[in-house]
Amino acid sequence: MLNNTKTILFALIASIGFTTANAAHPEHQDSHNNHQITITDSWIRSAPTNAPALGLFMEINNNTNQDIKLVSAHTEGYKRIELHRTVDSNGMMKMIKQDFMPISAQGELHLKPGSWHIMLIGPDRVPNMGEKIMISLKFNNGSTQIVHAVVRKGKMMMKHHSMH
Amino acid sequence: MSNKLLGIVSVVVLLIVVAFYTLDINKNYKSLTPQLAVAQIMHDPDKKLPIFSLLDHNSNVFNNDGLKDHWSLLLFIYTHCPDVCPTELANIAMLKSYLEGEQAAVIPNVIAITFDALRDTPKVLKTYVAHFDKDFIGVSGDQKNIDQLVKYFGAYYERVIYDDNDKPVTLKRNDPLPNNAIEKGYIINHTATTYLVSPDGQVLAGFPISHNIKNMANDINLIVENY
Repeated sequence: MLNNTKTILFALIASIGFTTANAAHPEHQDSHNNHQITITDSWIRSAPTNAPALGLFMEINNNTNQDIKLVSAHTEGYKRIELHRTVDSNGMMKMIKQDFMPISAQGELHLKPGSWHIMLIGPDRVPNMGEKIMISLKFNNGSTQIVHAVVRKGKMMMKHHSMH
Repeated sequence: MSNKLLGIVSVVVLLIVVAFYTLDINKNYKSLTPQLAVAQIMHDPDKKLPIFSLLDHNSNVFNNDGLKDHWSLLLFIYTHCPDVCPTELANIAMLKSYLEGEQAAVIPNVIAITFDALRDTPKVLKTYVAHFDKDFIGVSGDQKNIDQLVKYFGAYYERVIYDDNDKPVTLKRNDPLPNNAIEKGYIINHTATTYLVSPDGQVLAGFPISHNIKNMANDINLIVENY
């Protein structure tokens, strides 16, 4: 009886320990987390093999109590990388280069087609569908985040695409 | 005297018939508006498609005949566009698949005309446009011919270069590009409407960007049924 209780107690303690260890080292494949900034769903729109520019998109969450700015992005194999925002000005789609992207305290910024995006200009080689591209993102609070953006088709319209 | 009166009456009756006929044509499409989810009727029977001669992505002549005898979805793009144009082309590709899946009565040809003939040669367009759908037709050629169509469709574009201080400068339509523009790059701000063209070359409707594919398909079917 006592032995049984001991075993159960041991199992319980062991399982709590295991859970705590897991929580301390979260391993989420698509989430890049340094607690202050969380980046999810980073992707590059699959493009023609001769595309002169590619769009990079993601969702950036700022978990701090300070406003932060994304100031630059870097990856190998492109002539230039710029921060851009597409703005619809009375039907005229304007692509406006940005010095930074603001993410408000405890806020989020969704980089998506037709809106904020990172422009990868002059690729040495246009990546194939399914490839993962390592990108480093610099923020004005001194932190750098690494994301692995997957190359896939855009799904922008699927969101509006009512299926009922 | 009575012959003269008869003549006048005949002319008046004829005018009324003509007026009714014309109004009726307009009415047919305009009256669809309450049933249309996203399409904007653009039909104007007095506005004839200008004569144009361009090149398709195989460098064959693409002129007014290219829009005859079948329905077309026509849009203006440029390949250095990282966001809006690929979004439009991807959406239209999805729309085409949807229409095929629904076995729609009409699957329009898709014609993508470049705003940027300088960089988008037929060869460039061939690789680019086929990525979205193998049946899409890329069109390039003489910029003046392109500009004439841009104007006719009510589209608009402007080229933007960055000066030495990295400040954007919007060029006027006839301003030449600086010598280093190709090397330094330039972007194009532009409207992003997709146009539905009937088999007799009339622009019946325009679809603004951010269209829902199912709504767009329904609108196309409705307009086609009323053609």
